[in-house]
Amino acid sequence: MANHPHFLSLKGVCFSYAGDREILSDINFSLPKAELLGIIGPNGSGKTTLLNVISGILKPNKGEVFLENQNLNHLSIEKIAKLISVVPQNTWVTFNFKAKEVVFMGRMPYISRIKGESLKDYEISREAMIKTHSLSLSENNIQEISGGERQRVFLAKALAQSPQLLLLDEFTSHLDLNYKYEMLNLLKNTLKKENLTIISTFHDLNLASIASDCLLLLNNGKIEKMGTPKEVLNEENLLKTYKAKPILINHPRFNVPQVIM
Amino acid sequence: MNIFKKSNLIFISIFIILSLFLLKNIYEKKESMLQIQKQVDKHQVGTSNTTEYPLTVIDETGTAVTVSKEPQRLISTAPSNTEILFALGLGEKVVGITNYCNFPEESKNIEKIGEISPLNYEKIISLNPDLVLAYGGFQLKDIPRLRELGITAIVLEPLNLKDTFKSIKMIATACGIPDKGSLLVNNLTKKVDKIKSKVSSIPISSQPKIFIGGTSETIYTPGAGTLFNELISMAGGQNIAAGLSFWKKINPEFVAKAEPDIIIIPIGVMNQEEESKIKEIISKRAGWSNIPAIKNHKIFIVNEDLFYRAVPRLVDGLELLYKIFHE
Amino acid sequence: MNKPLSSNTGYINWRKKLILILIIGSLTTLGVGIICLNFGVVSINPKDIISLLLNGTQDKTKSLIIWQLRAPRIVLGALTGAALSTVGGAFQGILRNPLADPYILGVSAGAALGACIGIALQYVTGYMLASYLPVFAFIGAMLSLYLVYKSSKISYSANSTGLLLAGVAITFLFSALITVLLALSRRELHSMVFWLMGDLSTANWKKISIITLPVIIGSSMLFFSSLDLNALSLGEEEALHLGINTSKLRIRIFIIGSIVIATVVSFTGLIGFVGLIIPHIARLLVGPDHRIMIPIAAFLGGIFLILCDVLARILIAPTEIPIGAITAIVGAPLFIYLLRRKNK
Repeated sequence: MANHPHFLSLKGVCFSYAGDREILSDINFSLPKAELLGIIGPNGSGKTTLLNVISGILKPNKGEVFLENQNLNHLSIEKIAKLISVVPQNTWVTFNFKAKEVVFMGRMPYISRIKGESLKDYEISREAMIKTHSLSLSENNIQEISGGERQRVFLAKALAQSPQLLLLDEFTSHLDLNYKYEMLNLLKNTLKKENLTIISTFHDLNLASIASDCLLLLNNGKIEKMGTPKEVLNEENLLKTYKAKPILINHPRFNVPQVIM
Repeated sequence: MNIFKKSNLIFISIFIILSLFLLKNIYEKKESMLQIQKQVDKHQVGTSNTTEYPLTVIDETGTAVTVSKEPQRLISTAPSNTEILFALGLGEKVVGITNYCNFPEESKNIEKIGEISPLNYEKIISLNPDLVLAYGGFQLKDIPRLRELGITAIVLEPLNLKDTFKSIKMIATACGIPDKGSLLVNNLTKKVDKIKSKVSSIPISSQPKIFIGGTSETIYTPGAGTLFNELISMAGGQNIAAGLSFWKKINPEFVAKAEPDIIIIPIGVMNQEEESKIKEIISKRAGWSNIPAIKNHKIFIVNEDLFYRAVPRLVDGLELLYKIFHE
Repeated sequence: MNKPLSSNTGYINWRKKLILILIIGSLTTLGVGIICLNFGVVSINPKDIISLLLNGTQDKTKSLIIWQLRAPRIVLGALTGAALSTVGGAFQGILRNPLADPYILGVSAGAALGACIGIALQYVTGYMLASYLPVFAFIGAMLSLYLVYKSSKISYSANSTGLLLAGVAITFLFSALITVLLALSRRELHSMVFWLMGDLSTANWKKISIITLPVIIGSSMLFFSSLDLNALSLGEEEALHLGINTSKLRIRIFIIGSIVIATVVSFTGLIGFVGLIIPHIARLLVGPDHRIMIPIAAFLGGIFLILCDVLARILIAPTEIPIGAITAIVGAPLFIYLLRRKNK
């Protein structure tokens, strides 16, 4: 497992919508392969925007994003789709597809429109559903299952896309307690074995702390601190970013900081 | 907008090509029409007393229509043509009329072909007509299809009395009875001339101002170019809407200002009670109380068919108007 | 994993499914069309049709009615229904709006204005323009296509809303112009209104020869975008994440769909309701996967319009009811019934 120290690099990335205030300012960081990066920060700090810039659908006004030394700006979105997949926060679908059909759509970047799909595409979709414990939902209509079930289906879809970089936006927010840990387990252990690099935004600091190898704390569009959970989650950083003074304790099992009110 | 951008150029060129195609076809058709006109003028249609088939007439659409033999089965697709056919004594040969053909009474039991537009081609074909007497106006667009299906159709759309007489003659000629047509037209012309001479002795200042209106509050009135307007001036009246062209929707204020001496309401067949009700409603219209026609109770209800249709009964309408205006 | 995949992933060779749909759909449409040849003002029974096919022209009148009047109407109905349903479904897909119909992006209003101007000009230039009415309508449609295309680019956000708003705005503009034209033209009013209501009775083989190729090619091109349309229903960003160029897809579908609709509407007028409701009925029957839904909708639309046309011409014969009224009166209860059955 070659550890590519600069699998993903952002250099001097700034972003603002036309005529608007700057949402991201001078973002610089690198991420090695097969690491789980957790992006945290208060609402409005630019977490989702950063994710969208990394995924390539937003082009930075200044700076560049490199994936394995390829500038995302120079790649077509078809090529990017074979490298990066995303699990969104909002999973509403206009038409009432079955869950398995939604997962199958993850294979889109690989399917020729004229020739159509092969058996392999169905196998990969099925495996993805098994991994995310959503196989039982196969025949259910996507509009009729709960938010948490939908998120698992969308995770399956993102995995079916065979990405090298997986992006998740506030993934665990709708999940029940048991699923929260099960999915994080899945992400961390099973998938790291397959060399998958993962970036997830978190609203819940404790979860972020447990799940992530590396944390990136955003404050008003700038990187406040990036490093291990111990390095990032301390009183000083939290006060600067959240303007709050919570109590920090050490998680007995995982040996990472946990925040208590 | 950069006019030289590829997408703009594509759209603009499609637009220009289609327009040119259209103009070219219009021009070519006009040319061929003039050619045919020249040829048929030589045959001097409508003046001979015996009929030789096949004969060709040029109808309202400028098409040279050839009638191959004396037609035995006639279809009329307009109430005006139905009336003319019966007036010419051809009623026995009529096998199909529209839902709206209500005169004469003898036509009641003839098979109905449906609407004036869109024409029911199936019904018309099933009746096996030798000749179809058709109408211009809003039926015009249905005629090409009718002809495509092999039907011989003569299109008539007379807009004044003179053209109405011409239509009567054309129908008579096409059906093999040109002398009957001439006879009918002569009789009608005599009646018209009688009225004309009576009117010529009436000074313009004595000619009453006339307003033609309907029963609905939204007022449509006939202006220059309509049959009604022509009849009014022939009968020695002054249409307050003579300055407008064709049928126009007008502002009730216009009527109040013009102060007509006589108001004429053309409607379908009515009975006495309804007539007086209508007169009452008109009299009570807002802002009209000062109009001479209303003050003097000079509101007349007439049968609209006598004035809207290009038929022999127009002359009856003319005589009725004369009576109303001057007696 | 020795168990066959089909039970859990639903693997069916989509090409085989498509061929099956095409064959069954075509045969059904053909069957319905032949049966409907029997219906009309004039009574013609199957014996006549069969003897006509076998022996040639026995009765000239009946042969004329069947081949020159009824058959073209039925074929035009099938093509129009297919075109409206396919484009309706595709537009619902790119706008992510179940209430979209093929007319919502403005092309129909342009065609209507072109046709009304053509009708108004008829009286100025005379009879000969009557046959060229479809050209006027098509020019009008292309004009509105151009205007909507340009207007949608002005909108900042490159998503469905920009296109939708442009279409609605141009439709309103053109409808206003049509209203003014109607108000000024008392003589031509009748013709204009009838054109607007939609009519299959003017069908002939020449018109069909003009329409067939664009409709079939256009509908096929829309069909090949099915996978992209599926992905687009997950959301604009989601589709981008799946590698789909959403703005190119939208413009492509918009232009192809508009040209198909312009072609058909120029000859038939505005037949409503079909393009809105048939895609929904197709979804209720076979699900929202566009690869299955669009072909099914095409055949359903064709058959539906053929049947509505029969009703239009026999209910109060010899007067014909405008076909747009029949499609709504028949289609709405049908749709509600299917909805209730699905929800049970």
